Amino acid sequence: MIPALGRLLILGSLLAAAAGAILGFAAGRTRSAEGLKWARRFAYLYSGLIVSAALLMVYALLAHDFSVSYVAQVGSRSVPTWVTIVSLWSSLEGSILFWGLVLGTYIGAATFLTRNRYEEYQPDAIGVWLACAAFFSFLIAGPANPFHTVPSPPLDGPGPNPLLQNHILMAIHPPFLYLGYVGFTIPFGFACAALLKGRLGHNVLKPLRESLMLSWIFQTVAIMLGGWWAYEVLGWGGYWAWDPVENASLLPWLTATAALHSIMVVERRGILKGWTITLVQATFLLVILGTFMTRSGVFNSVHSFKQSAIGPTILGFLAVSLLFVIGLLAFRIDKLEPEGRLEGAASREAMFLLNNLAFVLLTFTVLIGTVFPLIVEAMKGKQMSVGRPYFDSMTVPLGALLLFLLGVGPALPWGRASREQVKKALIPPIAGAAVFTLIGYALGVRSPWTLITLAFGGYAAQVTLSQMFLPMIQRMRNGEPLGSALIDGQLRRGRRRFGSYIVHAAVVLVIIAIAISSSMRTQLELHFVKGQTLKAAGYDVTFVGVEQRTEPHRLSTIGTFNIVKDGKPLTTLTPRMNQYQMMREPIGTPDVHSTAARDFYIALSNVDAAAETASISVFVLPMVMWIWLAVIAMALGALFGLIPSRRVILSAAKDPVPEGATETA
Amino acid sequence: MNRSVLLIGIVIAAALVAILFMGLGKNPAEIRSPLVGKPAPVFALREVGTNRTVDITQYRGKPLVVNFWATWCGPCWEEHPILVANARMYADSASFLGVVFQDKEDKILSFLQQRGSSYPTVVDDAGKTAIAYGVGGVPETYFIDAQGVIVAKHNGPMTPDILRENLQKVLPQ
Repeated sequence: MIPALGRLLILGSLLAAAAGAILGFAAGRTRSAEGLKWARRFAYLYSGLIVSAALLMVYALLAHDFSVSYVAQVGSRSVPTWVTIVSLWSSLEGSILFWGLVLGTYIGAATFLTRNRYEEYQPDAIGVWLACAAFFSFLIAGPANPFHTVPSPPLDGPGPNPLLQNHILMAIHPPFLYLGYVGFTIPFGFACAALLKGRLGHNVLKPLRESLMLSWIFQTVAIMLGGWWAYEVLGWGGYWAWDPVENASLLPWLTATAALHSIMVVERRGILKGWTITLVQATFLLVILGTFMTRSGVFNSVHSFKQSAIGPTILGFLAVSLLFVIGLLAFRIDKLEPEGRLEGAASREAMFLLNNLAFVLLTFTVLIGTVFPLIVEAMKGKQMSVGRPYFDSMTVPLGALLLFLLGVGPALPWGRASREQVKKALIPPIAGAAVFTLIGYALGVRSPWTLITLAFGGYAAQVTLSQMFLPMIQRMRNGEPLGSALIDGQLRRGRRRFGSYIVHAAVVLVIIAIAISSSMRTQLELHFVKGQTLKAAGYDVTFVGVEQRTEPHRLSTIGTFNIVKDGKPLTTLTPRMNQYQMMREPIGTPDVHSTAARDFYIALSNVDAAAETASISVFVLPMVMWIWLAVIAMALGALFGLIPSRRVILSAAKDPVPEGATETA
Repeated sequence: MNRSVLLIGIVIAAALVAILFMGLGKNPAEIRSPLVGKPAPVFALREVGTNRTVDITQYRGKPLVVNFWATWCGPCWEEHPILVANARMYADSASFLGVVFQDKEDKILSFLQQRGSSYPTVVDDAGKTAIAYGVGGVPETYFIDAQGVIVAKHNGPMTPDILRENLQKVLPQ
C-alpha cells in the first residue's frame, strides 16, 4: 500500500515538474500571462507531491513498515525515535528523497514569494527550477527508488549507518547542508533567467542576491556543523581534513561568497554582470559535482554512500547542465552591457575584483586537489591521494590574501579616490594590525603565517569595527543621543550594511581561531593502567577505570579519566568506543572539555576492559570554541542583513512593472 | 556569440566530465595491499580448542586462502557459510585457514560448533599475525599461491563471486 502510493506521488511529481518546466520556458518566450500562471500552478503541484512523498516515507519509517524497501534497508525497531527520523537521509535513496523534499519546499516558497514581482524573469526561473526538479524526481522514480515493495517483509531491519547514530549533530548537519546545497538552485534559476532575457536589471538582482544569501547562510552553518561533528566524533582532534566531500561542500560556498561580493559591484557600478552570473551558475554546477562525488562511490570518504548506479545518472545531469550553462553564457553574455567601468586601482570595486579572483583561485586550487587522484589513476594506473600539505600550502596564502582584502577593501571609497583619501583610509588601521600581532607574540605565537594572519586580522578588525558603527557615529556627531543613533543608524536602517560588517568581524575571528588552533596545538599519546596518573601539557590525567555498557544496537566501552589542572579538579572525561552490530570496526567518541581559551580533548585509541589498561590521544587546542561561535555570528549577521529595512519595504511596494512584462492577476 | 567563453567552457567541462567518468566503477575502498606479489608473512599459531600448532609453511605446494575474522564482527557471520561451503568444494585444489584475533576462545568454539566448519581455525592471541598482514579490520581475506606468494586480498565480507574470482588467480592454470 505505502510503496505503491509513494511511487505514485513520485511519478506525479516528475510529470508536474516536467510539464511546469516546459510551460515556464514557453511562457518566457511568448510572454504569456496565462502560461506563467499555469507554470506557477505546476510548481505548486510539484511541491505538494514531492513533499507528500517524503512525509509518507517518514511515516513508513516511524511505523516500521518493512514492506517499503528503504525502511527494510535502514529501519530498525531497536533504535531511538530521533535515529529513525534521521534515517530518512542516512542512506542513498532516502537522501535523494530528502533532497526532493527540500527542493520542493524551496520551489514552492520561491514561486509564492515572487508571484507578483519580477514577471520578466519568473517564467524562465520557474522553468529552470522545475527542470532540475524533474531530474531529481526522475532519479527518485528510477535509479534511486526508495519505494520498492518488499515481497516478504522482514520483522526488523539493521538500522542506519552507525556513524550517523553516534552523535546528535548528525540530526542537524545534513538538513543544513541540504538547505544550503539545494537552495543554490533558486539563484541559479534567476541567473539563467537573466541570461535568457539578456538583461540583469536591478529588480532581478534583489531576489538573486537574497536567495543566494539565504542558501549561503545555511551552507556556512552546515560546513561548521560538519567540522564540529568531525571534531566531536572522529577523535583525531581536528575539524577539517580536506576530505573530498568536505571539499565538495566548500567549493560552492567559495563561489557563492565571491558572487555575493560581485553582486554589490553590479548594483553600484553596473559592471561585472556576466562574471556575477557565471559565479552563481558555477555555484550550482559545483553543487551537482558535490552530489556526484558523494553518491557515485568514486571518492573514498567518511561521507560516501555505497557504490551505486545513480553515479552515471548524476554525471549525465552534470554534463547536460554544463552544456546548458556554457551555451547560455556563450550566446548571451555579450548582451549584458556594462553601465560603467572600473574607475581606478585603489577603489573599492577594484578590491572586490581582487577578492573575486582570490576566491576563484581558491576554488580551482581545492577542485584540482580533489580530482587530482582521479587524473593520476586514469593516466598512470597508480593510486595516490592529495593530502593536507598541498591544501595547506595553497590555501593558507590565499586565505591570508583574502583576509588582507577584507581589511583594505571596505577602507577604500567607491569610485576614483585621491592619493590623500587613500592614505587617510589605509594608514590608521595599521595600529590594529600592530596591536593584534603584539598581543599574539606576547601570548607565545611564533609561527610566521599565524603572525601574518594576526596582523591582517587586526587591520581588518579595526576597519570593520569603524565602518560598522559609522552611521551611528555620524548621527552622534550631528547631535543625536546615543540611543536613537544606535537604533536608527544600526538597527532600523542600513541593516544590510551593518549585517555584512558583523559577518566580516566574525570572519576575522574565525580565521584567527583557525590559524591559532592549528598552529599551536599540542598532541601526545599516553598509556595507562588503572589508577595511574600521568602529566599531559600542564594537566594531570588519572585513569579511573573502564566500564562496558550494552545497549540494544551497540556495545560501548567507556574509559573514565579525571582531569586536574594546577592542583584543582577540572572535570571528568569519558571517551568511549562503540561497537555497532553490523560494523567491522569500532567507532570512538572522544570527550572534550571546552573553555574560551582552549579545549582539552581526549580520545581512546586502545582499551582493554579485562586488563584495565587504556591508551589515549590527548590534544590541547587553543581557541577552538571561537570557530563555532564566530561562524554562528556570521550566519546571524547575514540573516540580520536580510531583514528588509523600512525604506526598502516601501520602495519594493512602489516598484514599477518592469518593461516587457505582462500584467497578471 | 562569445567564442572564447564557449571554447574555455567546453574545454573545462569536457576535461572534468571525462575525469569523473573514468573514475566511475572503481572502488576507492579497494586499496591495493603492498603485500600483494610478496611472500606471505610466515606464522605458526595454535588451533582453537586444541594445543596443535598450525604452521603456514606446511601449506606450501597448494594454494591457500587465509581469512581473518572474529565472532564480534557482523559481516564475518555473513560470509562464514560461504567460506565453509567453498572450502569443501575446492578441498582437492586449495586449503582454507581461519585466523581469529581479539576474541575469546569459548566464544570462537561455540560459534564454530553452532555454525560448523570445514577447515582449521587458529587464534592470533597477540594480534601479531594480523599486524604482519596489515589487517585493517575484519573480515579480510588473503589468497596465497602454491609458492607462498600473496596474489590477492579482499577487504570486507566474502561473496561467492568474489571468492571464485580470486581463487582463479591462485589455482594452477
